[in-house]
Amino acid sequence: MNPETIEMVPTSAPVLDAQALFFAALPEHLLLLGIVVILILDLVSSRPRDPFVPALITVIAAAGAALWLHLTGYSGTPFPGQMSVGPDALAAKAVLLGLTVPVLLLARQERLDSQFAMLLLGSLYGIGLMLSADSLLMLFFGIELLSLPLYALVVHGLRRPESAEAAMKYLVLGGVGTAVLLMGISLTLGATGGLSLDDFRIAMAGDDFLSRGAVVLVVVAFMLKAALVPFHAWAPDAYEGAGIPVTAYMATIVKGGVVLALVHLFNGAEAGVHLVGLLIALPLLSMVWGNLVAMRQQGFRRLIAYSSIAHAGYLFFALLGVSEGRFEAVAFYVLVYGLTNLLAFACLPAGSDWVRDRLDSLKGLYYRDPLAAILIGVAMLSLAGIPPFPGFIAKFLIFQNVMAAGFVTVAVVGLVASYLGIYLYLRVIQYMFMSQKPEHTVPSPAGAYATTAAVLSMAAVLTLAIFPNWILAWL
Amino acid sequence: MSESLALNALLFLPVLGGILLLLVPAQRADVIRGVSMLVLLVQLALAVWLYLRFQSGVSGLQFETRLPWIPGLGVHYHIGLDGLNLLLVLLAAFLGPLVVAGAVKSIDRDVKLFHAMVMFIQFTMIGTFLAQDLFLFYVFWEAMLIPMFLIIGIWGGERRIYATLKFFLYTAFGSILMLAAVIYLGYTVLGATGSPSFAFTDLYALELGLEVQIWLLLAFALSFAIKVPMVPLHTWLPDAHVQAPTAGSVILAGVLLKMGTYGFVKLGFPLFPDATLLATPFLMTLAVISIIYGAGLALVQDDIKKIIAYSSVSHLGYVMLGLVSYNLLGVQGALIQMVSHGLVAGGLFLMVGMIYERCHSRDLAAYGGLAKLLPVYSVFFLILTLAAIGLPTTSGFTGEFLVLLGAFTAAWPLYEQGVGYPLALAALAVLGVVLGALYMLRLARRLLFGAVQTPVAVVSDLDLREKLILTTLVAAIFVLGLFPNHFLQKTEQAARDYQEQMLYTPDGEARR
Repeated sequence: MNPETIEMVPTSAPVLDAQALFFAALPEHLLLLGIVVILILDLVSSRPRDPFVPALITVIAAAGAALWLHLTGYSGTPFPGQMSVGPDALAAKAVLLGLTVPVLLLARQERLDSQFAMLLLGSLYGIGLMLSADSLLMLFFGIELLSLPLYALVVHGLRRPESAEAAMKYLVLGGVGTAVLLMGISLTLGATGGLSLDDFRIAMAGDDFLSRGAVVLVVVAFMLKAALVPFHAWAPDAYEGAGIPVTAYMATIVKGGVVLALVHLFNGAEAGVHLVGLLIALPLLSMVWGNLVAMRQQGFRRLIAYSSIAHAGYLFFALLGVSEGRFEAVAFYVLVYGLTNLLAFACLPAGSDWVRDRLDSLKGLYYRDPLAAILIGVAMLSLAGIPPFPGFIAKFLIFQNVMAAGFVTVAVVGLVASYLGIYLYLRVIQYMFMSQKPEHTVPSPAGAYATTAAVLSMAAVLTLAIFPNWILAWL
Repeated sequence: MSESLALNALLFLPVLGGILLLLVPAQRADVIRGVSMLVLLVQLALAVWLYLRFQSGVSGLQFETRLPWIPGLGVHYHIGLDGLNLLLVLLAAFLGPLVVAGAVKSIDRDVKLFHAMVMFIQFTMIGTFLAQDLFLFYVFWEAMLIPMFLIIGIWGGERRIYATLKFFLYTAFGSILMLAAVIYLGYTVLGATGSPSFAFTDLYALELGLEVQIWLLLAFALSFAIKVPMVPLHTWLPDAHVQAPTAGSVILAGVLLKMGTYGFVKLGFPLFPDATLLATPFLMTLAVISIIYGAGLALVQDDIKKIIAYSSVSHLGYVMLGLVSYNLLGVQGALIQMVSHGLVAGGLFLMVGMIYERCHSRDLAAYGGLAKLLPVYSVFFLILTLAAIGLPTTSGFTGEFLVLLGAFTAAWPLYEQGVGYPLALAALAVLGVVLGALYMLRLARRLLFGAVQTPVAVVSDLDLREKLILTTLVAAIFVLGLFPNHFLQKTEQAARDYQEQMLYTPDGEARR
């Protein structure tokens, strides 16, 4: 064992545990292996190869590994003070990696090349690091590793000039987020003298200016990454500029990963007095603004972008609540929200990227492709939080958590804000079912991969609607 | 045991029906109608059997099923029959086949989706009545909006999108505040007993402070009052009724509106008795305003559907009046009035639909003298009119008479103690009966009598299918009017328990 390594460990901690090193980061190892395999395959073959199969196997294996480790109740600390893995982190990874399967199917339906697959897997690696981080630096590293491939993914395939502009905006604002996060981390170091997550939680409880500043800056950086009002401006452009699979990835997995990482960061801690104001005001503002602006959108991706701003509001609300049950509520929400979004994306009528995006092209969809219309309808109702669809239970859990913390009025206001969103989802249903029957009904053949994604998502959504307990008990 | 199985079967039959419909090709409209009809008839048979097996004079639930659904949240799949929901389940099951039969001609496109939606709404409505767990109740209550939204929005009239969005958004606003109250109650139970639960019985046992009760009652009452609807929250109803297809109107008037009054009697009032007693003057006034104002509006409409829609506002005002009288007769009357209104308003909407199918107009001014032209139609229409007015021997009489009797019985001792408003309000409510006669007879006179006039040249009288539908309905109206005792026996114990719950604390002390 390298003596230097031991010196770096602050406590008289044990030497590196090879077994923990292997198991704790097994999902990440598999992702890395997948990247390497795809890279080698790409290098050795003379013509562009379809990386779908290795990428899919990688993601399923990684998700399976996380699930398996979670079920065995594994927890390990490969790098003391830097990285540790517990059941919650593994469950979160299993959820997020599982959600990647439909994303890959959607990507394959459009076009999937090696760069795309490697960028996607790399970004997932970042999510994995974020969720098992034990120090702020590791967390920062994870977020950067998550974001950098994303900037490239937004321009990937460069369909339109707007894509470049969108990626640029995203890059600049993402850079601001990085800077804010670093500043917050520095202040934490100044306030507490340490960089571990425990130090951050000490700062959360602290009352001095430095601690408050540190905590607020870190939380704001997460808000920027998750696109909460007023840090949301990049999202609609980035979502619109990117291809549909990338939009789906950003709206579901990235957003969920960021929030779950913040939940991981808070862990048992509850928001102190100075954070409460921030965690009440901005999520509420996001719900109201996101839902209101979404009503006026004509493009599907922009609609999803604003709706995802509102949903980021609900997710951040959970941080206000009691720590008990917080992770379950957020993880369930991320899973349900991700699945329903992916379901909607998978059912969009076929056509050129730009045509698919227009809400108008959904008009009368029921008469062309009844199944797709019904599935999008289910997704919309679930996003609106209407029972019996699982979005309702997800919303219920979040607001129950907030109310249990004593914020009754805030929860009521939040519920009313969520009511604003109902109209926008109903509008999509109205377009699909209640518009004039189009004169020439061209059946739009959905691709096999997109159909598979839709079927998988729908099966999961139904299961979650009828047996939510299966997942809730497992989380 | 077999009864609880039958009750579950009754609830889930429409789901089975929906799955069966998926297998039928969309072009085979006749098969789709046949399957739906068969499923709903079996459901009706089960409902009748359960009604007959239901024991009178026993408190609490019968034919109960209770299984854990989401144990972490304390949510159970918990259903059962009691005196409050017994008649409503029977009503919903009775109207189901009539809705399908009534839609044979009027629904000619997307037949498969329509029948799937009828199955869906039948499932959610009966589920709402049967649920004995607040979470489950809320799921059914809210899910019911989805099929109704589509039924009005797809098969409705020219302003259907406006009407259906208004319907959905109005009712969803009430529900969202109710959801807040549901969540609050859930964790109050957790705080009180240490384990989460949404079971009605656990919620009844909560001892909430008056202030909390008032807030929660407000949240529940808003949701229920929108659904009833009570003035001034009724404005969605005329739009929804006018734009809805006949089947939608029948479901809406027949069963859906009762979910509001059922919500009050099952949940809103008994969960928060102290707040309710405090609000009684207010609730009673609103009920009487609904009776008079609804009748007044019905009197000046020229759209036939609107007349019946506003008459619903008026008739459900009686239900509310009976419920807040806390008198056995009044509560019993309210329960009968709910069923009676379901039959009468449902029947009237069916009849309006029949004439609309022939003439494509709902404008009262366009019609006249149908008695000469369509004798059979006119006979049925007159019977329904008289039932709506509340003529003795019809169900309308039983309901309204008992409600008014109950209101007066409850008001008189109060008057002797020097509290005069209940008596004054009860007296005003009688005015509603007079107004009811006025607007219904105005409708019948202008539609059936006078110079013969129709919007189209040739109008045929009722065919066999239509006669059959109306005969069934009229028979039910007379059964309820002539033999109310049979039904009253079954509900009596539940009405007593409700009265007990409202007027006395669990320790037996008077609340007031």
